[in-house]
Amino acid sequence: MAEKTRMQVADIDRSLYDFRYDDADAEKLDAGLTPDIVREISERKDEPAWMLEHRLKSLQIYNDIEMSDWGPSIDGLDMDNIVTYVKPNTEQKSDWESVPDNIKDTFDRLGIPQAERSYLAGVGAQYDSELVYHSMQETAAKMGIVYSGIEEALHGEYADLIREKFMTLIPPTDHKFAALHGAVWSGGSFVYVPKGVKLDYPLQSYFRLNAKGAGQFEHTLIIVEDDADLHFIEGCSAPKYNVANLHAGAVELFVGKRAHLRYSTIENWSKNMYNLNTKRCRCDEEGQIEWISGSFGSHVGYLYPMSILAGRKAQASFTGITFAGRGQNLDTGCKVVLAAPGTSASVETKGISKDGGIQTFRSSVVATPAAEGSRCTVSCQSLMLDDMSRSDTIPAMDIRCKNVDIGHEATIGRIGDDKVFYLMSRGVSEEEARTMIVNGFAEPISKELPLEYAVEMNNLIKLEMEGAIG
Amino acid sequence: METQAITFDRASAMPAPTWHFMKSNEARIEIPAGLEIAPDVSASVPPLARGAADEFENALANAQLAWDEEHPMPTEAELAERAAFLAAEADATYGGTAQSDYQANADAIEEARSLAMAFETGVGDEVGAYLRYAAGDRIVVAAGLGEAIEASVCVRAVTGAISAAAIDVVAGEGSTVRLKLHVDSPEETPADKSNGAPAGELAGAPADSADAAHAIAGTTLRVFADAGSTVDIVRSQTLDDGVIDIDDMGLFTHKRANVSVCQTVLGAGTSFAGLAADLRGAESGLVVDTRYLGHGSQKRDFNYIVRHHGQKTECNLKANGVLAGASEKTLKATIDLIRGAKGAQGSERENVLLVDEGVRNKTVPVILCNEDDVAGNHGATIGHIRSEQLFYLASRGLAQDAAERMFVSAIVEQAAIDAPGEEARRGIVRLGERIAPGFAELFDDGDAGVRTSALESEEDR
Repeated sequence: MAEKTRMQVADIDRSLYDFRYDDADAEKLDAGLTPDIVREISERKDEPAWMLEHRLKSLQIYNDIEMSDWGPSIDGLDMDNIVTYVKPNTEQKSDWESVPDNIKDTFDRLGIPQAERSYLAGVGAQYDSELVYHSMQETAAKMGIVYSGIEEALHGEYADLIREKFMTLIPPTDHKFAALHGAVWSGGSFVYVPKGVKLDYPLQSYFRLNAKGAGQFEHTLIIVEDDADLHFIEGCSAPKYNVANLHAGAVELFVGKRAHLRYSTIENWSKNMYNLNTKRCRCDEEGQIEWISGSFGSHVGYLYPMSILAGRKAQASFTGITFAGRGQNLDTGCKVVLAAPGTSASVETKGISKDGGIQTFRSSVVATPAAEGSRCTVSCQSLMLDDMSRSDTIPAMDIRCKNVDIGHEATIGRIGDDKVFYLMSRGVSEEEARTMIVNGFAEPISKELPLEYAVEMNNLIKLEMEGAIG
Repeated sequence: METQAITFDRASAMPAPTWHFMKSNEARIEIPAGLEIAPDVSASVPPLARGAADEFENALANAQLAWDEEHPMPTEAELAERAAFLAAEADATYGGTAQSDYQANADAIEEARSLAMAFETGVGDEVGAYLRYAAGDRIVVAAGLGEAIEASVCVRAVTGAISAAAIDVVAGEGSTVRLKLHVDSPEETPADKSNGAPAGELAGAPADSADAAHAIAGTTLRVFADAGSTVDIVRSQTLDDGVIDIDDMGLFTHKRANVSVCQTVLGAGTSFAGLAADLRGAESGLVVDTRYLGHGSQKRDFNYIVRHHGQKTECNLKANGVLAGASEKTLKATIDLIRGAKGAQGSERENVLLVDEGVRNKTVPVILCNEDDVAGNHGATIGHIRSEQLFYLASRGLAQDAAERMFVSAIVEQAAIDAPGEEARRGIVRLGERIAPGFAELFDDGDAGVRTSALESEEDR
């Protein structure tokens, strides 16, 4: 029998995301991380004194904490070469026509203004370290919803609320890059949904990192009050450079009693990016958080959205897909804390690795002694598209009470030859057949996304599947 | 000779660590100062099956020769091509794929091509070496071509001492070896009177069992299963609460060899069980069946590492346990499907029944996969007795508390029924009597087929 050969095809043009503009007009602070740089960021933003104090304390913690030893190597990331603050040559605008042409063109090509016109209730667009555009439909504003830049909100009527919540879910002591974020954070959104308000259309923030060798450290703070409902979409991308870029954002979500929040992310950073992002949500009584997460880009990724179910009968669901290709090591998953009676969580993830890429699913489920009557199910499936890649599954469970029901299932394998054969016998090419199967594998995630984002995700899968015939 | 205080910080370490806040990456074993080194070990090995001290090393060296023959070293041209490929990859991918430490270490071990270097034991090299030192002379069980051997080793805990056995099993081609290990405390240690759960009561205040330890008992076992051999290991442990148990195993399988391990962990204030297997030969297999009970303030730590090297290798890890009182348990199980192990299948499943409020259970079922033509799966179910089961038992007049106790005694009862020998059964019955008074009566007439729970019988009375 002839030996099976593996055809390799170069990745197709990623020009949809991989374009860039000269950043000569942008104001940049020096590369590296010093107290002076931190003070300058704070001064430029005219921040209250407590925030400067918070930043300096975080910097100290950053210097004191060791890097974790369990995840992908970040040896290629030298903080001395990372510019932590890059201000684009514009102030924040509320109409696209006022945004400088190169930046407007960037977001046009990413489809953001069009999406805003079609189905979004509001959009925030961040370019490097600052928001360049923020707008919300009048109807949403009339409902009492606040959607603005977080720095702007720090000077407004919600300043005290922000101070009360800021980095309480993700304290700078949590890990080294949470501390880094605390020191140099810049930009990001603040959303406040009042009691009982339900927004039918999503809000979206899009983060674009254009500058070479820069870091992006946006902070997203969302408060959904009791009985309210919100869908928030986060998108991110960057052009490819030959030096490391860093993304260390933070997302803090507070979901009130009986409130519901869906947080969807399609992350497509360029493949020179170290994506060390932290996301955390606290749910009160009968509150619900739904995470939808697609991770495609980055050179290295550490991403584990965490749900803290602090109120009775609070619920969490996490649906995620990670696709790791050549040169990528994406360590993703989630954390769940069942901390009150009758809470429940479900986790469903899919991982795909190909062309030497490494994909790791990592999770933790902790049931505290208060979690009587709680339950959690974790289901994790991994697909290997060739024998050069790697797919690891590292789930951990820590159960400290009796009346709980915790289940975990995981499988790992490859696309069955019989399935490919069947499709080929119906006239489908091998490449198409494999793409169809992978799309089907990812379907539980894509069906949870708004149509336009599901299409984008399927396109990303198609993009990644080019050259995966084996 | 007396021991000096030693702490092994990285015992029973998972190959792929996770977040440190989960406190499950490794275990800490403390050897208190002042213990006598006094092994109380009896072994029954047929005279013709007593091997030389270096039997295991020689077998592994021969396996290395055979493996090298089947897997020739890459030529210089191939190495140069590989180096060029890696350099091109590094250029194209920002320095190459940013491997985690454990991923880079795994690649380094594969590239070293040394079976001896790849061989490991579940609790770890340092602890294994310490047990071998404490055990003194090694017990070597060697079965020649096609032979069938049965051997047994009993380790008795000694108050104020460390009592350990170091055992090698070398199963020749086509042979069958059955090894029974029993680790027991025939005498009652002072800690049983002061720190353990009172007789008949499973719950107890949490205590640091290591502090209360008055003795250490353990075994370190290496198994070489040559082509086509079958090795069955049965280990039952019925130590009293004042004893720390260390169960350290390492296995190597050649082509079509099959190893099964049945572990029963019923006693000891603190126990560490670790098993590592190198399924090197094609179509070789491993089955591990673990049953455990934790009650009072007992602590249990299990660490399983199965490396699939050979094509069409199979492993099946099963663990069933009950946790009561304020007991704690950590089970780490890693199936490693290494590149080249085409057609390999790894499966692991754990069921844990939590009986009391104060228990703590940690489970970390890991699959590492570097090969596409494999199937790996794992599952864990952790929780309480299902409500429909409780309802059924209530309809038969059994209160919830009694039902919970019944599940506890059922684990001990099953262990007694499946005991590998009379001595092991006596140990299990003695421990069962302490947990559930009246338990011993079930086995008074030697009827191992009794199926009625001790607690149920007590209620009937």
